[in-house]
Amino acid sequence: MSQKSSMSELAKKEQRTAYKLLIPTMLILLLVAFYPLAQVFVTSFTNKRFASSQKTEFVGLRNYRKLLGVTVKKLEPQVNPDTGKVKVDSETGEKVYKPAYEALPSEPFLYEKLFTVGFFGNKYVVGASDADFMSAIKNTLIYTIVAVTLETIIGLIIALTVNSNFKGRGAMRAIMLVPWAVITVVSAEIWAWMLEPNRMGLFNTVGDMLGITEGQINFLGDPSLQLPSLIAVDVWKTTPFMALLILAGLQLIPQSLYEAARVDGASKVRQFFTITLPLIKPAIGVALIFRTLDTLRAFGVFQVLLGDRVYSLATYNYFQLIGNREMGLASAIGVVIFIFIAIFAYAYIQGLGVDVE
Amino acid sequence: MMTDERIQILKKVGFWFIIGLICFYLLFPFYWAVNSSLKTEDQLMMMPATFVPRDPDTGAIDISLTNYKQLFNNDTFMRGILNSAIVATSTTVLSLMVGSFSAFALGKLRFKGKKLSLYVILSMTMFPQVTVLTGLYALIRQYNLGPRFSMIFSYMLFALPFTTWVLTSFFKDLPDEIMQSAQVDGATAFQTFRLILLPLTAPALVTTGLLTFIRAWNEYLFALTFTSFDAEARTVPVAIALFSGEVSRQEPAGAKMAAAVLVTLPIVGLVLYFQKKIVKGLTAGSVKG
Repeated sequence: MSQKSSMSELAKKEQRTAYKLLIPTMLILLLVAFYPLAQVFVTSFTNKRFASSQKTEFVGLRNYRKLLGVTVKKLEPQVNPDTGKVKVDSETGEKVYKPAYEALPSEPFLYEKLFTVGFFGNKYVVGASDADFMSAIKNTLIYTIVAVTLETIIGLIIALTVNSNFKGRGAMRAIMLVPWAVITVVSAEIWAWMLEPNRMGLFNTVGDMLGITEGQINFLGDPSLQLPSLIAVDVWKTTPFMALLILAGLQLIPQSLYEAARVDGASKVRQFFTITLPLIKPAIGVALIFRTLDTLRAFGVFQVLLGDRVYSLATYNYFQLIGNREMGLASAIGVVIFIFIAIFAYAYIQGLGVDVE
Repeated sequence: MMTDERIQILKKVGFWFIIGLICFYLLFPFYWAVNSSLKTEDQLMMMPATFVPRDPDTGAIDISLTNYKQLFNNDTFMRGILNSAIVATSTTVLSLMVGSFSAFALGKLRFKGKKLSLYVILSMTMFPQVTVLTGLYALIRQYNLGPRFSMIFSYMLFALPFTTWVLTSFFKDLPDEIMQSAQVDGATAFQTFRLILLPLTAPALVTTGLLTFIRAWNEYLFALTFTSFDAEARTVPVAIALFSGEVSRQEPAGAKMAAAVLVTLPIVGLVLYFQKKIVKGLTAGSVKG
C-alpha cells in the first residue's frame, strides 16, 4: 500500500516537472501566435480589404464558399437546328457538346471549368468558383510529393556515404551545407539564371553543345516544364537538410551494435535493414514531417521563379492579400491551408508511425 | 573470378565515384553563382554562356571584380551581415534552449497531455507565413517592438517547433536505463538532463542548431516586412533583394551572385568551426561507453 502511494507520488512529481519544462515553449508560442491567428480567423468571415479605408462587413461563410465551391453539371449535346439531330464531329465521330460555361452557374460566383469527364455515355463538366485556388492545391500537392520523395532518397544516399569513414569527411560535411546555406531568394535567382530560355542560361548552353536541343527550351514558361524545374531547384536546395538530419541519426547509433552483428556474420545489407534503418526511422520521420510541412507552404521558389503564372497555396494567398488586397479572402485561404495541412500532417504522422506518445 | 584485392579496388573506385558525383551535384549551381559573380553585365549576356568569365570579343579569360567592389562599398549590405548574425544567433540559442527543455519533457518524462502538446507545438508551422504576417505586423506596431527583436520573436514560430520535435525524437532514442541509473545515483531530473542527455545527443543538438541558424539567416518575408520602417535593421536577404535600382537600373544579377558567394562561404566555414567546438564542449563531460 505504501509502496503504491509513493510510486504515484513520484509519478506526480515527474508530471509536474514535465509541465514546468513545457511552460517556456507554450508561453512563447502563445505570445507570438495567439493574436495573429485569432485575427486571421475573425477576418476570414469579413470582406475586409488590405490597406483600405473601405468599411468592413461581416459576410459569414462567403469567402469559404468562394474558395471551395465545386460543382458537377451535365453537358448538353449541340443540336443542329435544321435537322434536329445531334451534331457529330466529322473527324472523330464523337458528339459535339455545348460549351462548359453555359452549363456552369454564374451566381453567386462565376464557376470556371476544371475538366470534363465522360460517364455512361453522358458528358459532365466539373467547375470551381475559384479555379486558381484549385490549381494551387494541385500544384502544391504534386510539388510536395515528388520533391520530398526525391529529397529523402538522395538525402539518405548522401548521409550513408558521408557516414562511412574516409579521408575528407570533414570537408564533405562543409560541401553538404552549401546549398542549404545559400540565401533562398538568391538560390532561386541562381537557378533562374541557369534556366534562362536561351543560351545565356547554363542548361540551354549545355543542351546545345551536346546537340540535344536547339538551346531554346523555356523551362519556366512551358507549362509541362514549370513544376519539374521548380522541383529540381527545391531538391537541390533542401536535400542537405534531409541528409544532415539523417546523418545525425546515424551518428547516434552505437558502433557496438555493428560489431556484434559482424561477429554474428550478418552481411552489410542485412546490417542496414536490421540495425541502421530501424534506428534512424525516427530521425527520417521527423525530417519528413518538417520537409513536407515546408513544401506544402512553399513560397519563395514559386514567387521568384513563377510569380503569378503558376500558384502554390502560399503564393496564391500572397497574391490575394498584396495583389488583390482581398484581406478577408486571403485570411480564409490561410485558414483553409491550415486545416488542409493539419489533416495531412495528422494522417501522415500516423502513417509514418512516428511515436507521439 | 576476381581476386579479393580487385574487389577491394573496385569498391574504392565506386565509392569515390559516388563522392565525386555528390560533390558535383551539390556544388555546381554554387560554382555557377561564383562564375556569374565574376562577370560584367556584358559577359553575363553572352551567348552561349561561358564556364569561366571570358572577354566577349577575344574569348580570353577575363575576370572582373567590380561586383565585389560594389558590395564592400554598400553599407546596407555590410550592416546586413551584422544584423543577420545577431538575429540568427539569438533565434538559434533561444529556440535550442527552450526547445530542449520541452523536448526533455516530451521525450523522457511521463505526463498527461503529451500527444496534445506535441500537436499544438507542430500546428504553429501549419500556417503560411503570409497568413500571420498582417497580424504580427499589427502586434509589433502596437507594442512598438524593435525590428531585430520582432524578427527573433516571430522566428520562434518555425524555430521552436522544429527544435522541440527533432530533439524529442533524439531524446526518446536514448535508453531509459540511463535515466534510471542517474536517478538511483540521486541526480535530479534537471541534472540528468544537463549532465547526461545533452552530452549524449550532442551531434543531434548541433545539427538542429545549425539547420535553425541557417534558416533564420535566410528568412526573407518577415524580415522584409518588419524592417520596412527601419532600414538600419535590414538583414542580408532583404539587403540583397533591394539591390535592384540602387546600383544600376538593370537587374543587378552579377552583384546578387557576388553577395550570395560572399555570404555563403564564411557561413559554412563558421558553422563548421563552431560545430567542432560545441561537440567537443558538450561531449567533454560525458562518460564514454
